[in-house]
Amino acid sequence: MAKRIVVGLLVLVAAAGGAFAAGQGERAAATDGDIHIALSAPITGDWSEYGIGFDRSARMAIDQINADGGVLGGRKFRLSVGDTEGNPQMGTTLAQRFTADRTIVAQIGPFASSTAMASQPIFDAEGMVQLSPTASHADFAGGSRWSFGIVGTQAGEGPFNARFAYEHLGLRRVAVLHLNNDFGIDSAYYFSKAFEELGGEIVETDFYFDGERDFTAVLTKLSRTNADGLYIVSFYNDGAAINLQRQRLGWDVQVLGTGSLYNEQLIALGGDSVEGVCTATVFYADDPDPRVRRYVEEFRSRYGVTPSFHAAVAYDAMMLLADAIERAGSTDRAAIRDALAETVDFEAVAGNVTFTPEGDAVKSYRRLVIYNGEFRLFDEVGLPRR
Amino acid sequence: MLFVQQLINGIAQGSLFALLAISFAIVYGVMRLVNFATGSLYMIGAFSGFFIVRYVVRDVFVAIFAGAVAGYIVAFVLEKLAFKALRGVARIASLICTIGFSVFLNELAAVLFGSEVKSMPAFYGQTAFRITGVAVSWLQVVMVATAATVLIILQLFIYKTKMGLAIRTVSLDYRTAALMGINVDRTISIAFSIAGAMAGIAGVLAAVYYNAVAFNMGNLPGLKSFSAAVFGGLTSIPGAIVGGYLLGIIENFGVQIISTGYRDIIGFIVLVAFLLFRPRGILGRKTSM
Repeated sequence: MAKRIVVGLLVLVAAAGGAFAAGQGERAAATDGDIHIALSAPITGDWSEYGIGFDRSARMAIDQINADGGVLGGRKFRLSVGDTEGNPQMGTTLAQRFTADRTIVAQIGPFASSTAMASQPIFDAEGMVQLSPTASHADFAGGSRWSFGIVGTQAGEGPFNARFAYEHLGLRRVAVLHLNNDFGIDSAYYFSKAFEELGGEIVETDFYFDGERDFTAVLTKLSRTNADGLYIVSFYNDGAAINLQRQRLGWDVQVLGTGSLYNEQLIALGGDSVEGVCTATVFYADDPDPRVRRYVEEFRSRYGVTPSFHAAVAYDAMMLLADAIERAGSTDRAAIRDALAETVDFEAVAGNVTFTPEGDAVKSYRRLVIYNGEFRLFDEVGLPRR
Repeated sequence: MLFVQQLINGIAQGSLFALLAISFAIVYGVMRLVNFATGSLYMIGAFSGFFIVRYVVRDVFVAIFAGAVAGYIVAFVLEKLAFKALRGVARIASLICTIGFSVFLNELAAVLFGSEVKSMPAFYGQTAFRITGVAVSWLQVVMVATAATVLIILQLFIYKTKMGLAIRTVSLDYRTAALMGINVDRTISIAFSIAGAMAGIAGVLAAVYYNAVAFNMGNLPGLKSFSAAVFGGLTSIPGAIVGGYLLGIIENFGVQIISTGYRDIIGFIVLVAFLLFRPRGILGRKTSM
């Protein structure tokens, strides 16, 4: 009996904790005239660090906008956060909930291309903006007039990296290892296509599933090709594991990867094995630009960490949405969409935003290299000596 | 040379699968329950090893011990909280409970320790010896040696001690065992906790081997090593070890021959094909243990 009571009490405590958390999310809901924005992001699950980065950046942006007097003559923003758990089905459920709530004027998110594309038909049918900070699949924004991506597509990043590899690093035979999801397949495709058009050769392409920790087998296989470069399409955690295991196998090869590698944690996890790894990114935390400094320093003082590029584009998404609402002069869903579509050269921390007719942003990238254990601009320092 | 390299990769990975498979086999043996929280116990072991080397002492063996203790304690608490109350009720309830605990523990770790991947310091990265030019690191030796030591200690425990006898009896029939005067609750609790300790040890080894600790690190190894346990016979501890190593080796050769994306497909095709011909697994008995 005592045991039952203990278990019962634990359940009660857990339920009360949940209710408390929910209550916190809804606080400040009462103020009239607030502009209600939804954020859809993987707050829990395998991608939660990115979801949490979105949440932090979006809140910080809203606090800054509200402190600066809000938009449309003093109206403030409030945010409702939905957790996709990194799962496209969950993202779709959230899309239904958010589009049905008439107080919500637009959604920021989701994080992954797969989730964004799965919920796209709902936003299209209901007529609400889905502004994804990070969905970079080349077919995402073009799939609906209500979909916008601000990170730039793989059709931009892939060829940029191909030129980086071919012209700046002098690579001619590259092996490709990519994450097997919408983002990874798309990234590998655009890189490979552009690299071959430049005259290079893709000697082997292999892929892995999310959650894999052991890359020794595939690296052993790729190391037996005559590749002079390895292109990796992965997040920083996999990127660090790939490089550590590559170093352990004694495969000395120039590594280049997508902008998703750009995270201080790549160096913390990878140690010397990531020295000389190159990547291209739209956001560079050590940029002297005052807007970037303001963002990075406030983020550091609030949360004690340097924002990753994923967090930076979420900040831009919220700032851009506020700008579009101001320009639209109203909070009507369709008016916001039209104002957003007309965005020209919006000044952002992760590269200015101008939308193409499809709703993609064309970005300028910077070449980065890990030099003496730090991310540096490749054009300034070149490759570290080995 | 390529063959040797993939074989070494497979053996190192197989050591992790084998320890986890033992954990599944012990729990299944005494409770006829598949413990889907095994992957989470592995993660908890990894985190305790991580905190030990990060903040207490930089010694891999202390870390392994800490992982075992943490796995033991958490499994003990889980068993007391959930499975004891559900014993004798529908087995499916306990099964769902293990899935629930797995999600609970993973998300709790994400909330408490953060969801980003943490860096585990490296140990024994130096080359121990070379086989046809392929370097084998001390760490790989330590992994195999740990798995072997654990197997020997477990076999001695199960076949040479009174508690081991009790575990074997309970695994045959817990109702009859109770009538014989065996304290069934205590026996199951100890077996379950030992299984937790095995998962914890595997977690620390994985953290050191891959230099990384993350809240979701146990999901995939948990699932794969369950298959390794089935492959080995599910109730047999030596079978679990053989199953674990075979799965590791088959997967690594599969990658070499076809592609990484197919590694799981190959592993599972071999598993299913094998079970079609020998449903009780490699060393499983026709009747229960």
